[in-house]
Amino acid sequence: MRVLIPYIKRYKWDAIWATVSIVFQVFATLWQPRMLQTVMEAIMKQDKATVFNYGIGLILLAVVGIIAGIINTVYSARLALHVATDLRADLYDHIQSFAYADIEDFSASNLVVRMTNDVNQVQQVVMAAFQQVTRIPLVFAGALALALTTMPEQWWVIAVMMVIIVGVGLVTFKTMSKYFAQTQQDIEDVNTLARENLMGIRVVKSFVQEQAQITGFAKTSDRLRDVTAKIGELFAVLMPAFFLTANIAVVVSVYIVGQNVTAHPTYLAAISSFTSYLMQILFAVINASFMMTFASRAFISMGRIREVLDHKPSMHFTTAGPATVPGDITFEHVTFTYPGDKQPTLQDVSFTAPAGSMIGIVGATGSGKTTLAQLIARLFDPDSGRVLIGGVDVRELPEATIRNAVAYVLQRATLFSGTIAQNLLQVQPAATPATMARAAEIAQAAEFIERLPETYDAPVEERSANFSGGQKQRLAITRGVIADPEILILDDATSALDARSEKLVQEALDRELTRTTTVVIAEKIASIIRADQILVMDGGRLVATGTHKQLVQSSAIYQEIYATQKAKEGGVANV
Amino acid sequence: MSDIKNAGKYYYHYLHRYWKGFLVTAILIGISTWCVVVAPTYLGRAITELTSYLQAWGNPATRQAASLAKFHHTLIVYLLLYFGDASTLFVASWILARITAFSTGTMRIGLFRKMQRMKVQYFDAHSDGDILARYTSDLDNIFNALNQALIDIFLAVAQLIGILIMMFDQNATMGWVTIASTPVALGVAAFVMQKASVAVNQQQQAIGAMNGYINEQVTGQKVIITNGLQQDSANGFRPFNQAVQKAAVRGQIWSGVLMPLMSGMSLLNTAIVIFFGSWLALNGQMATGAALALVVVFVNYAQQYYQPLTTLTSLYGMIQLAITGARRVDEVRTQPDEQDSGTEVLTGLNTAVKIADVRFSYLPGKEILHGVTIDVAKGEMVALVGPTGSGKTTVMNLLNRFYDVDSGAITVDGQDIRRFTLASLRDTVGIVLQEPQLFSGTIAENIAFGDPTAELDRVKAAAKQANLDDFIQSLPEGYDTRVSDEQSVFSAGQKQLMSIARTILTDPRLLILDEATSNVDTVTEAKIQAAMDNVIAGRTSFVIAHRLKTILNADKIVVLKDGAIIEQGTHDELVAQGGFYAELYHNQMVFE
Repeated sequence: MRVLIPYIKRYKWDAIWATVSIVFQVFATLWQPRMLQTVMEAIMKQDKATVFNYGIGLILLAVVGIIAGIINTVYSARLALHVATDLRADLYDHIQSFAYADIEDFSASNLVVRMTNDVNQVQQVVMAAFQQVTRIPLVFAGALALALTTMPEQWWVIAVMMVIIVGVGLVTFKTMSKYFAQTQQDIEDVNTLARENLMGIRVVKSFVQEQAQITGFAKTSDRLRDVTAKIGELFAVLMPAFFLTANIAVVVSVYIVGQNVTAHPTYLAAISSFTSYLMQILFAVINASFMMTFASRAFISMGRIREVLDHKPSMHFTTAGPATVPGDITFEHVTFTYPGDKQPTLQDVSFTAPAGSMIGIVGATGSGKTTLAQLIARLFDPDSGRVLIGGVDVRELPEATIRNAVAYVLQRATLFSGTIAQNLLQVQPAATPATMARAAEIAQAAEFIERLPETYDAPVEERSANFSGGQKQRLAITRGVIADPEILILDDATSALDARSEKLVQEALDRELTRTTTVVIAEKIASIIRADQILVMDGGRLVATGTHKQLVQSSAIYQEIYATQKAKEGGVANV
Repeated sequence: MSDIKNAGKYYYHYLHRYWKGFLVTAILIGISTWCVVVAPTYLGRAITELTSYLQAWGNPATRQAASLAKFHHTLIVYLLLYFGDASTLFVASWILARITAFSTGTMRIGLFRKMQRMKVQYFDAHSDGDILARYTSDLDNIFNALNQALIDIFLAVAQLIGILIMMFDQNATMGWVTIASTPVALGVAAFVMQKASVAVNQQQQAIGAMNGYINEQVTGQKVIITNGLQQDSANGFRPFNQAVQKAAVRGQIWSGVLMPLMSGMSLLNTAIVIFFGSWLALNGQMATGAALALVVVFVNYAQQYYQPLTTLTSLYGMIQLAITGARRVDEVRTQPDEQDSGTEVLTGLNTAVKIADVRFSYLPGKEILHGVTIDVAKGEMVALVGPTGSGKTTVMNLLNRFYDVDSGAITVDGQDIRRFTLASLRDTVGIVLQEPQLFSGTIAENIAFGDPTAELDRVKAAAKQANLDDFIQSLPEGYDTRVSDEQSVFSAGQKQLMSIARTILTDPRLLILDEATSNVDTVTEAKIQAAMDNVIAGRTSFVIAHRLKTILNADKIVVLKDGAIIEQGTHDELVAQGGFYAELYHNQMVFE
């Protein structure tokens, strides 16, 4: 709840109007019997004028009820949507302040769920709260007060009824919540099996395991069936039990009135109103318990939203510092452990790369290549040691300086939907058609972009589905080079390019971006064979550095990698 | 309308076997409603008895004889009626709860069973998310509707009938007055619901667009961070968020206003009944007492009459979802099954596999394979090479009869594979897929996937041949380690090895290997290569190769391009030819 209060305060007039209109609505509902009373009296007196006036009054009251209901809906909806919109905006802004580690902490898909489903839950409960929740206590309090003023002696009947209802409710809900948790688990299992079989349908079919899978699925599905049946059976007991309790209360109170009728003859006339108040109390309690289960789901969502909003970004940037830096890179005894990991991913890594040089990084999966590159761009901070760009510790550089100096092209090329030009302008707002063409030329993207009918204004679909893997990577490289970065990191960014295009990209980088330090991470030796310096990673350690020629002589690990990829001109190399 | 028809068919299919349960439920609810409608009259009678007791007691002459016995008797009947109501309602809800749980259980298994029997084509033509939504969302909507709406509909209809009978039995004029506003109320409800469905549609569209943006941006957050685009991204979000707010306010108002409107209409109707009832009382030929009673009774009826109406309109949305859900699940239910018309049992491979002048298209008019012919003698290894979209994977789809050829034929030992039963063909053909799939269960169960009866020894032997035994042994729970496709202890390369182990275990005569393109490092690749060599040894095999290193020793390399064979021969022959293959080879390797 704490999260919501400031948001609701912002729209306090919506909240006030919603609440006021609900009071009118409840008043209209509760006042009608009172006016009926007067009409009846008038009928007895044959007072036509009063009957007519009150008849009109009754209709006006009903119209007030309708109008109040509409106003309440309008303001509740406005309030709920304003709160949800602001909540989403704040969540979005806050996520934008997150560092790499924070995104990994939550996982991107998890953040998406919190921004969409969880906010939606909260929105629904806010709407329901202002449509229903204020109403329940009003009806409850009103009915209770009226019942007590009608027959004060029978307070204990009401009390006993409520104790039984609440008691029965609590006991069943406790059992039920156990079953609900079980249901959740079973649903997840069912969905997992369905998903696995869906994605692995070829595996299932090619091993002729359809029947075995059906049997396995049926077992899980039957578990879910049995637990839902149990919940349904409990509910089947609950409702009739509530109503029976209330009706027993009615019988008891009528019986008591009967036993004492000689002492209190006037109570005879009050029986019918007393019983209707008892029913209203019952409905209020039932509605309240339903609201509770509804709200408990929203509370979970609110907790999940608060977790994001309360999460402090794990990295801070200084605001003072140089706006530009030259492109030389130095690592001084850098050790780095991912949050939550026990083993460091990088151990005591040191090297220096002069500005304008080309660095290659090779090594097995998990050897720390990508992590090393991420530290250059200060996506993470080292546990110990220092990373320097242009001789300055990256922790002493403003964020904009680092982002302008370092262009990072990921293996999984991600472009945003829009046009090619929009994607490029995002990183280089000053780009002219000429700069775009030059960047595309370097990335070997110009030839296919210029064949598109709209060239640079060609649309990029969601997940850039309208481009092939190689085209996506070339577009990502175009975006990487358009701002003339001091440092360009290509993290396996040419894996989908053929050898010829890859070579052309590297030659163009050499020729055009002379002062740019290029860091190339690659599986293929061919991609880094021309590097001024190759870093060989193994298990988080930098085990060898040198040029291709040197490493082939000196590094066993480099030789092992190379052996799987080399061939002799004109024949097969059997290694 | 056809939606409703298909949904009706679907529900009939799954629910008609419970007709006895529904019949009993209907009878019980009838009894329960009768109890509820009749009970209040006993409360009235109790008050009358009490009044006469009071009068008798008030008169000294009859005071001695005055007795509460009749009053007590009436109260007992009243109580019994509510016991009757509670017990019948309990049994009815209990039956319906079980019918709901069991029928949706059957629907779920039915959907899954259907999924296992459909053609692979259906899965290729529909997105995984769309098919999965039938489990997660459509079946869920069906369950919710059955679970909540069914009993409410039964009750509402019974209540409506009961009240109408009671009203017209008591006073037809007042009965007509009470139901006079119904067309207005239903008209208003229909108007609001129609507006709501338009507004909610627009709301869903706006939400869809916004969620698309959130999804793309937040999943691409790393790119945003590395390019320093956080502010841009936040600015871009604002219009989407505002559009949702605008559309959703309308959507929520129109859909939220129905309930207060209906209860307001109920209030208004009650007012009209009071107004007209009192007019009748004053201007009719009724005694004051009777007139008073009439007004009181009809005020009650007026309130009760609107309850089922409100219930039914409020269930509309849920029912709508259940109809759409049933239509979507029924769409799957009525898909054609895989044709298994073959009668002969394929027991092995003795001489050769031939692909003879095969033409094939996934979509009519878009031919993918234009007359492909490949001969493979028993024990040979054939490699398929070619750029993406050349038709390599299609050949695999045809060998296993995931799809059937348009013309031409695939033969095993001279017999068309369409003459064999699917099970015997697929038992003979083993496939190692490019993207391996793990299933929830233990590692041993996953390796023994093709033969769940396999003993642990055989599982271990297969894992050893696949170079995976050492790793599995190093896990604390070894072969009993639980895995699933999402949460797995395996890297991409190890998953590939799992898939190879799985195939080794079933010992197929003909092997199809679709080599992994996923980025495994060269060292793991060497391990996979060794495992593949193990599985290929002694078998007839097709290898779909992406890295040429793996196929240098193939008996025959077939180069496919745009659905036709452009080159064929051994590695050395093809390199010597200096054609497409030679260029590909030069591009992939490092030459000294």
